[in-house]
Amino acid sequence: MKFKVASKILEANERIARENRRIFSEAGVYVINLMSSPGAGKTSLLETTIAGLNHTLKIGVIEGDITGTDDAVRINRLGVPVVQINTGGACHLDANMITEVIPDLPLDKLDLLVIENVGNLVCPAEFQVGEDMKVMILSIAEGHDKPLKYPLMFQESAALIINKIDLRPFLDVDVEKIKNDALSLNPSIKIFELSCKSGEGVDQWTAWLQTLTS
Amino acid sequence: MHEASIAESLLKIAVDECKGKGYTRINNVRVCIGSASGVMPEALLFAFNALKSDTIASGATLTIEEVPLAGRCSACSSDFTTNENFVLCCPHCGSSAYTLLAGRELDIKELEVD
Repeated sequence: MKFKVASKILEANERIARENRRIFSEAGVYVINLMSSPGAGKTSLLETTIAGLNHTLKIGVIEGDITGTDDAVRINRLGVPVVQINTGGACHLDANMITEVIPDLPLDKLDLLVIENVGNLVCPAEFQVGEDMKVMILSIAEGHDKPLKYPLMFQESAALIINKIDLRPFLDVDVEKIKNDALSLNPSIKIFELSCKSGEGVDQWTAWLQTLTS
Repeated sequence: MHEASIAESLLKIAVDECKGKGYTRINNVRVCIGSASGVMPEALLFAFNALKSDTIASGATLTIEEVPLAGRCSACSSDFTTNENFVLCCPHCGSSAYTLLAGRELDIKELEVD
């Protein structure tokens, strides 16, 4: 016999994500899901942001990687609460992985929690984890064709950080095309151009973060 | 590569629904997959078949209905559908502001059981 089912396949994940978000919201913590390709500069952006905010915001970090604790070690050095998740092979974080580490974070002492997703320009865009906002990074070394090749990530993100702009003189990359294509996919996307290495453009990003959490 | 996670969720929902209604075997699962959902039907089918063994869906087939992307232009108000996976602008007036009406579905629709 046949019977109808009306269920979203990802409903279980979305339900857990909503519960995570409720917990964060009640604790007064703003949550960013930070996504990019491997090597675009997620951890470097976190280091630069933590230094740039200079304790004006209390930040916590969840690091998501397939394996290893290198990123958590880097963040821990800055005296910021950090928890490492190893997905053991999975190409993205899901809501349940976040639920499991919430007790390890001092939420009542935080203003902002950044969840650094697994480096991947495809899958993390599909899975809510309980964030208020998705932010993505594209480094200019990845090329200007990426928005149109990986459109979902650009459509889902509230902000795009174009990183490594100090490399502009050495690359045949059309940064205007990145911006125009990102805006055509997502007219409301907020774009920041910066370099974690030189520090150029970081102030605008940290000032914007402060407006979000105030 | 996350089709395996999708297939895992899909199997769990199907098995829970089936057992909850007192049935013991799933013969077919029908799903709707939007063309802009980011899920490749072939990869989903592969993952479903790989993961279904040792469940009450071990003999089940997966029927995938693909839903084309549809949108409504915010500038000229016209509705459109496309076979593309993504739309950059309204095919009528070229505006890039549009509302997605369909194409992001990842829904389980029907189970055939014994």
